Amino acid sequence: MKWVRWQGLIAFVVVVIVVMGVWFFVVDSAIEAVIEKTGTHVVGAKVELEDADLSISPLGLSLTGLQVTNPDEPMSNAVQVDRIALLVEGAKLFRRKVIVKEMTLEGARLNTPRKRSGAISRRPAAAPSVSKRAAGEKFTLPPLGVPNVSEILQREKLRSLELAEALQADLQAEKDQWRKRLAELPDKVKLAAYRERIEKLRSAKGGTRVLGAVKEVMGVQKELRKDLDRIKAGQNALQNNLALFRKRMDEVGDAPLADVHRLKEKYAFSPKGLTNVSRLVFGGKIGKWADTALDWYERLRPVLERSKERKEGHEVVKPVRGKGADVRFKEHQPLPDFLIRIAHVSMEIPAGSIRGQIRNITPDQDVLGVPLTYDFSGEDLTRLRSVKLDGTLNHVDPSSPKDTANFKIRGYQVTDMSLSDSAELPMVLKKATANLKARASLSGETLKANLLAGLQSVEIATRSQDEAGGLVKAMALAVSDIKKFGVEANISGTLKAYDLQLSSDLDRVLKEAVRKQVEAQVTRLEKELQSAISEKVSEPMADIKASLGGLSAISSELTARLNLGNELLKGTKQNGRSGLKLPF
Amino acid sequence: MLRTIARLLSALNSETKPGQISLAFCFAMIAGLTPLFSLHNLLVLLIVLLLRVNLSTFILGLGLFSGIAYLLDPLFHGIGLAVLTAGALEGLWTALYNTTLFRLEKFNNSIVMGSLLFSVVLFVPLYFISNQMILRYREHVLAWVQKSRIMQAFKATKLYRLYSTYSEFRGTA
Repeated sequence: MKWVRWQGLIAFVVVVIVVMGVWFFVVDSAIEAVIEKTGTHVVGAKVELEDADLSISPLGLSLTGLQVTNPDEPMSNAVQVDRIALLVEGAKLFRRKVIVKEMTLEGARLNTPRKRSGAISRRPAAAPSVSKRAAGEKFTLPPLGVPNVSEILQREKLRSLELAEALQADLQAEKDQWRKRLAELPDKVKLAAYRERIEKLRSAKGGTRVLGAVKEVMGVQKELRKDLDRIKAGQNALQNNLALFRKRMDEVGDAPLADVHRLKEKYAFSPKGLTNVSRLVFGGKIGKWADTALDWYERLRPVLERSKERKEGHEVVKPVRGKGADVRFKEHQPLPDFLIRIAHVSMEIPAGSIRGQIRNITPDQDVLGVPLTYDFSGEDLTRLRSVKLDGTLNHVDPSSPKDTANFKIRGYQVTDMSLSDSAELPMVLKKATANLKARASLSGETLKANLLAGLQSVEIATRSQDEAGGLVKAMALAVSDIKKFGVEANISGTLKAYDLQLSSDLDRVLKEAVRKQVEAQVTRLEKELQSAISEKVSEPMADIKASLGGLSAISSELTARLNLGNELLKGTKQNGRSGLKLPF
Repeated sequence: MLRTIARLLSALNSETKPGQISLAFCFAMIAGLTPLFSLHNLLVLLIVLLLRVNLSTFILGLGLFSGIAYLLDPLFHGIGLAVLTAGALEGLWTALYNTTLFRLEKFNNSIVMGSLLFSVVLFVPLYFISNQMILRYREHVLAWVQKSRIMQAFKATKLYRLYSTYSEFRGTA
């Protein structure tokens, strides 16, 4: 049997030609399907393409009607592009390198409406963000009326009252203790007994008896001194306690003022409440811009850098499509697997057309050795004098990537922008000319951004209710007078958790406008609090004074006893050492 | 599909040389286990068409091995990665990596390398095992199968009618 059938060669050629023919016939649809499937996977919402057309000479691809759904709003497209033309370097394809020499995006538009929802059933959960937090914060004015003092005093504990009650209790205990102790100390009766004994001894006559009396008098003197020492010790202790009680009474006297100050701080309307107006007015908007930008950055990250790992000293990359892993070896002429050398973009925004270039789009910047750069600008647009956006996405060293963005807008005419939905003080920015400058950088995971906006020829419309208080009216008037203001926003943190700090001239203007009204209101509240607290504390204070008076009386009693005892002691010393008249 | 199965049965039961069937089965293993649209499969197709191997067996084998390949992908990935990252072979792979033909072959993909290596290594053993199995089938099983109740029931099916028609046409029944 012959092992070779030569007609098989013809069959092979026929099969190859048929396969190539079929491939050429279906390749456009296949490219369309691949773009839609991969795009949908990357974006997390439907990516649709009207048509794809592959041309052989020159080798290129033309895509028409690309729609990329906004994953957060499935009824609108984040980007819609009329036509994308790619010019591919054919020879590199044989080395499995897709090198696009030039890409042209025509008629790119942002936020266009969709006829059908572009939502997909499985969508990765979005990370919590500043704008979602900020969206929950509505601009509301702080409570503006003078609070009811009786209600405050019912709710609040007064430190002055607590101190007074504690002092009164301590004074009562001290008084009770001294009443008991006074009974134990030598009283007038005992001192009178000493006097009697001394008189008796004075009347002693005859040498031997006199000598015995002298000895007895000395004994009486000793006893008397001992008793007087006890009285003196007691009196000293009482005086010390009295001094402490007087000091505490002074504290009680000062406490109502401290209470007034504390409650005033807590309940009075303060201009401090207006320091975050700019955050409440602009925080949500700026936070939302930042979130949208970072959300898209996260989605497009695989385009900048794909996951690579090293195994046995070799770089191993996961193919964008297909199974397994591709191991890379040293190339004589290193080139990324995918590269768009330059993309010309023409973007249609409501104000007109913005043009720009993106260079070096590749997920293998470390192979190319050059970062991605972008540069867009537009001049003399509708309601916008100029706009410029440029920056670098540098992932040449994947271990320390650094991305930057600079954004400048000049002469943007703002109209009818709602600043506050507050029922008490609605504010609408009717007209303004804005200049905006923003800079953002992301080094590794560290995010830093600064935005400066200056608004001139400002016209803010406010409408305060007729029944609104002076404070609201003052604020409305101040806001209406604003002709220019600035806003500064600073973002710092990481992609997943960042903090937004905002400041604005609006805060200062509003604070200044309400200062006088606030001062008058605070004075009124202070007076009311002072009078109410004084009234509450006055009764315990009277009781304290009475109790202190009682203790002073005890002190006087001790002084009287001490004086009496001292006189007696003095009497025994008038003649001789024992106070007796000696017969010699 | 039924026609292809009938042809395979006909080949098994006919005087077709076992080597023709086994070789077709082995080439089907390479084409089935490795990613279908690989450069080496073009060579496999050329060989299969050029050599007198049984095409029905090749087509059926291709379907069978393509199904098995999905289950064996993790194994292929492991083998391929180990071989591609082996230090001793680095020079060879680097040289091939810089060659257009081998870049088109995508040999540096772990699944391509693993599955190709796996099927090439098994090619010769599978050839001889298949040969033996076909011979034993014809010697011992064929007569028993023809008489079995299952075969009797099978003879009443559309597939058997097709097989009979084909065999009569080829004169190999």
